[in-house]
Amino acid sequence: MENIKALIIDDEELARLLIKNYLKDHEGIQIIGECENGFEGARSISELKPDLIFLDIQMPKLNGFEMLELIEEPPQVIFITAHNEFAIRAFEMNAIDYLLKPYSQERLLSAVEKVREKIKSGSVNDKSINQLIQHPLTEKLERIVVKTGTKIRVIPVEKVNYLESQDDYIMVYTDEGKHLKQGTMKYYEDHLDGSKFIRVHRSYIVRIDQVVQLEPYAKDNYILKLKNGTALKVSRNGLKNLKDKLNF
Amino acid sequence: MQNPILNSRKSFYYYLGIWSIVICFHIFLLYFSGRLSLIKALTDSIITNLLYGAIGLGLWFPIFFGKTDEEKTASTVINNLVGCILAVGFWLGATYFFLVSLFNGDASYLDFMRKSIPWRAGLGILYYEVIILVYYMIILYRHNKENLIKEAELKTLVKESELKSLKSQINPHFLFNSLNSISSLTMIEPSKAQEMIIKLSEFLRYSISNKEEILTSLDQELTNINRYLDIEKTRFGRRMKVNQEINEQCRPLKLPGLILQPLLENAVKYGVYESTDESVIEIVCDCNSSALSITIRNAWDPDFLSNKGEGIGLKNIRSRLRILYNRDDLLSIRKEHQTFEVTIIFPQT
Repeated sequence: MENIKALIIDDEELARLLIKNYLKDHEGIQIIGECENGFEGARSISELKPDLIFLDIQMPKLNGFEMLELIEEPPQVIFITAHNEFAIRAFEMNAIDYLLKPYSQERLLSAVEKVREKIKSGSVNDKSINQLIQHPLTEKLERIVVKTGTKIRVIPVEKVNYLESQDDYIMVYTDEGKHLKQGTMKYYEDHLDGSKFIRVHRSYIVRIDQVVQLEPYAKDNYILKLKNGTALKVSRNGLKNLKDKLNF
Repeated sequence: MQNPILNSRKSFYYYLGIWSIVICFHIFLLYFSGRLSLIKALTDSIITNLLYGAIGLGLWFPIFFGKTDEEKTASTVINNLVGCILAVGFWLGATYFFLVSLFNGDASYLDFMRKSIPWRAGLGILYYEVIILVYYMIILYRHNKENLIKEAELKTLVKESELKSLKSQINPHFLFNSLNSISSLTMIEPSKAQEMIIKLSEFLRYSISNKEEILTSLDQELTNINRYLDIEKTRFGRRMKVNQEINEQCRPLKLPGLILQPLLENAVKYGVYESTDESVIEIVCDCNSSALSITIRNAWDPDFLSNKGEGIGLKNIRSRLRILYNRDDLLSIRKEHQTFEVTIIFPQT
């Protein structure tokens, strides 16, 4: 059987060394590279085309999730992190496994075994991740990462005015402009902070700070005006959401 | 506050029961001593005692509202004496009035009545003392119970706050990441692993030692901060650099324990965690005769961090400073484009 080609992406040298040492004498897996941060990771993945990445989440500039969002055909992912609150998002990104630091050699090998199984048969037993998501602990999104050509931009959510859905894509509107990005409204509705963002329509999520006024328009229809002058349609559910959040 | 006897049906029945026993005893005495006929003994006893029973209920109010903990013994005695004279006087007058009007024309009863007045006065005083005693006991009992409940509540509060401070001190991610580094070091450099375990243990021991309740020396605080920084340096290697500029004369000066720790954690979090290149943390300590000043500076990149305002760590420090020094102006923050700087002044007394 062919070797699994793996890439390590972690900002701590000792953490990378541990993975290499754990896998040193293990046959069937080959470490083809190491990266110290998300930018390097994104670049190396497209250059080296690994089968598997060991991915840390907390990293400078671009965290593990943000990096993964930039990659069109991501390899298999094993998350290795000290944070247990990201397990749900990891699962949503089709991670094969989620290891909590510190972890044993056996634990790492069993994760690698799952990758092998998955590559062979195309399916995997997700028991460990299912166990983790029994205790959901979620962190809210603080930044959205977009890619224009080869340029990567990190947008803090405070700078996002609103999101608009366009088929399988999301258009992110800021004061400076707009950026297209793969993703679903459901994902952003779930992961943006509900006290700052609100879904007002099937196609719109709006930052609450941006709302200036709500105007009736035809029967049972409303239009929401934003600070920058944009007017957005509000659906019946959206109106209910607005009423709940803003108490009117 | 309501009279405890009227508080529940049960205690009121007890009260009536006790008076019924007293009434029976009273009848027995009057009748078998041969002074009065059964019917007269019955009437006399019931009226005498029931009247006192009613007055007894009323005595609760002067006792309850008159009581203060710091009250002097002398005034308590005077209050009770006045209360006793008023209660017994009123009771004697009322008994006399009712019984004499009932048995008007009965010369032998009137004679008995007159002769028995001193005895009745004595009995009234006795009743008064017994009732007052019972009331005082009830008040004391309630007081004790309240104190016990308060004490228990206080204990849970103290425990909760201890727990909270523990949680805020030791960042679990720092702990788990450090343990992961140690795990890695055991395979390549066991002596370094051992050194790190010892540093981590010393750091943890200091952090859970309740040092935040007391003032400690700058020297001790710096020692602990350096343990923490050394551990982080092992994790981040060349990415982390610490410059310290310490005026050696400041080392014995006092500051609240563990107050710098959250500031350093923030500096590492926003400086080192978010940096791909070398990130410098600077610590500057200086002092004069009246104050110790500590400045912590770190680089930060506003383009990548959402601007969340003052975090919980800084708020906690502000409130600790307010409680300890009763001042609001000791902590100041300077945010420039690429550097973040916190300065705290610790007044020395």
